[in-house]
Amino acid sequence: MSIINAKELSKIYRISEKQPGLAGTLRHLLQRKHREITAVNQVSFSIEPGEIVGFLGPNGAGKTTTLKMLTGLIHPSSGELSVAGHKPWQRKARFLRQITLVMGNRQQLLWDLPALDSLKVNAAVYGIPEKEAQRRINELAEMLELGEELLRPLRKLSLGQRMKTELLAALLHQPAVLFLDEPTLGLDVNAQVRVREFLADYNKRTGATMLLTSHYMGDITTLCPRVLLIHQGELFHDGSLSELTQKLAPCSQVRMELSEIHSVEDFCGYGDIHSLKGHQVQLLIPRAELSERVAALLNRFEVVDLEVSAPPIEELIGGLFRTRDKL
Amino acid sequence: MKEIKRYWHSLCCFWSSSIAAEFEYPLNAWVELLSVLGNLAGSIFVLKLLFGNGVALGGWSWNGSLIVLGLYTILDGFTTCVLQPNLSRIVNHIQTGTLDYVLLKPIDSQFWLSTRTVSPWGLPGIIVGFCLICWALFKPSSSINYGLPSSGALLLAAALLIASLAILYSLWFVLAALSIWFIKVWNATEVLRYTLVAGRYPVSAYPPALRLIFTFVLPVAFLTTIPAEALLGKSSSIWAIAALGVAGICLTGSRLLWNYAQRFYTSASS
Amino acid sequence: MKWAWRVARALITSQYALMLEYRAEIILWALSGVLPLIMLGVWSGSGAATAAGISAQQLSRYFLAAFVVRQFTVVWLINVFEEDALQGRLSPFLLQPISPLWRYLTAHLSEQASRIPIVAVLLVLLGIAAPGLIWLPSAGAIFFGFIAIMAAFLLRFLLQLVLTTFCFWSEKAAAIDRLLMIPYMFLSGIVAPIDTFPPAVKRLAMATPFPWMIDFPARLIAGEPVNIALGFAAITAWCLLLLPICHLLWRAGLRRYSAMGA
Repeated sequence: MSIINAKELSKIYRISEKQPGLAGTLRHLLQRKHREITAVNQVSFSIEPGEIVGFLGPNGAGKTTTLKMLTGLIHPSSGELSVAGHKPWQRKARFLRQITLVMGNRQQLLWDLPALDSLKVNAAVYGIPEKEAQRRINELAEMLELGEELLRPLRKLSLGQRMKTELLAALLHQPAVLFLDEPTLGLDVNAQVRVREFLADYNKRTGATMLLTSHYMGDITTLCPRVLLIHQGELFHDGSLSELTQKLAPCSQVRMELSEIHSVEDFCGYGDIHSLKGHQVQLLIPRAELSERVAALLNRFEVVDLEVSAPPIEELIGGLFRTRDKL
Repeated sequence: MKEIKRYWHSLCCFWSSSIAAEFEYPLNAWVELLSVLGNLAGSIFVLKLLFGNGVALGGWSWNGSLIVLGLYTILDGFTTCVLQPNLSRIVNHIQTGTLDYVLLKPIDSQFWLSTRTVSPWGLPGIIVGFCLICWALFKPSSSINYGLPSSGALLLAAALLIASLAILYSLWFVLAALSIWFIKVWNATEVLRYTLVAGRYPVSAYPPALRLIFTFVLPVAFLTTIPAEALLGKSSSIWAIAALGVAGICLTGSRLLWNYAQRFYTSASS
Repeated sequence: MKWAWRVARALITSQYALMLEYRAEIILWALSGVLPLIMLGVWSGSGAATAAGISAQQLSRYFLAAFVVRQFTVVWLINVFEEDALQGRLSPFLLQPISPLWRYLTAHLSEQASRIPIVAVLLVLLGIAAPGLIWLPSAGAIFFGFIAIMAAFLLRFLLQLVLTTFCFWSEKAAAIDRLLMIPYMFLSGIVAPIDTFPPAVKRLAMATPFPWMIDFPARLIAGEPVNIALGFAAITAWCLLLLPICHLLWRAGLRRYSAMGA
């Protein structure tokens, strides 16, 4: 039984446009031009309980729109959607108790108050008995390494500490599904690592399902065995990160330094030549045949130095977006 | 029953935490106290000018007008206590996107938005307003000495005061909810504060056209004049029933508008 | 000079475009300025004005003019500035080679420009509802009235600017501005013509900057006998008094802002 099920999910916005300058303003005032924008187009996927799924895509690809549809903040234009057995947009109390949303750029806790006060409010709203709430706060605080920070007004905390208290507040009602929108936004590397570790640990302990977006590839590579890549509103990839790499860059680059100079014909059958200059040669070899070809190369030539590399995933995805944008 | 208990418990938590937050800024207490006293002094001064030649204002005596002013001060205090801190925040929620969090709480969003905080700084206004009313009722030297109203009149006045609080709340909430469409309404609620100033004077002091507007369009008459009439034992049952009816309509209206606004927000925002 | 003109034009057109985006809000704001009309209602019913020697026509013209003056002298600098300072939008403005105050000033002027049609519609509606109320002031009254409104606006802007600089020190400067609104409300002539005040209170009021912001331009437009020279001299004097204060406080505030590294 999937916990999230989306079938041909679409969202179309109607927006009005305005030309710059005074003339444009006046024209806009008198006669509005409307345009329809498809933010999400026929996206289908399903997620099993306990999965951690990364949600990738450039700004404006439709990630946030999809996330908002999944949490019930936006009504889909068409398609079917069920989350934890409910239709999200009805926002029934029973559904809302099972999910949580964490946005790295928006806070739910009050600025002037210690986090503990806001946590008590959340406990009351979710109908958690006081003793139970205290127990959960202690448990989560321990996992998040939070102590007296909970007693200080929020504005006196660092960004990392604030994010951790936000996580605590979001998890107090033990949701089954977590939606995390850029949970590590603006954090330094240490704080990022700690948030990641916490999320992985929390998933292991509670079996909660997580769907997270992030611009930091590190979040995705360490946390998510499965990624959904969305581009221009459409689902481009659904699977593991290595499959994505395979799809985007089917070849590896092999750079060799040879003891003797060889001609182009000598490398025939080993792979495409990327460059050949004196003792240096660079070949492109399909990943699937990488090991046997490299072995053959080592047999055939006297190799001084050898290096196999794949372009980093960020570059691959960036490259994909650039080439697609040109089309 | 369990739901009511959860809402009640939530309310207690809301208010205890927000009072704690308010005390982070003690300067506010002095500003509010000064503003209540300053406004009251100014209003009495203008009233004095209006009564300059001893002619009654729209058929109301000096003491009767003071009661209207007292009720206005109470309502203003209520505004500072509950309406202003909560409903002016809706705009912020929309601008910063934190309305998302509110909508995802398993609690009625109108309840959350209307009661989330409370500011103790409206209390001076409420107390001063009650004092002014008592003073106007019992002031010995006045030509007409009203004295203690009958218990029936008191009860009716209390009911009508509650009705006027409900009307006032609905007006504020409707304006605040409009910020879903018009983002920059941080002082749309101020509009209301300035127009409701009309409630400082008995509605019969206005020319007939304005009287109609203040009764049927912007129900200022129901806010101060009608409860004051009840207190003076002058009220007619028709107006009392009308006031309660208007309160009911306003509350329902605010509810319907919020449901519609929410639907709009959740289908249009990005 | 050429540069200044270009900057001014760019600022005004962009701010005007922005204000037109907020046209619905501006209608609401314009409506919030109906207080003089409400007060006209109360005063015309009371008979106290006649006792003070003001005829019914003078009264209605005065309050109508006060309504127009109020519409075009509204200042909301402190509210925007506080928000900008708290949310960190001020820093990028400060990096630009032009003081952010010019940006705020042009925003106010643009907002006034976008109010013109709204106020015109309101006046027309008023004229239809109560035909006797509307009149056409003399050309001189319109000319001097316009200058007086602009001068009154400038005075009000500077007065609020003094409080606005407190935003650099306090998070609640706007609350203090609410206190300043009280004498403004009762002494400027919005709620009662200054002439109806008892002599002692009137003398006190005239010693404050407030009557020059509403009472003076309003009576000028309403065609009452006013000492034009004295009025403009008073506004100029107050502005000259406030300008150096604003300048010093603003500089000190900026120093503090940069020292805090906010």
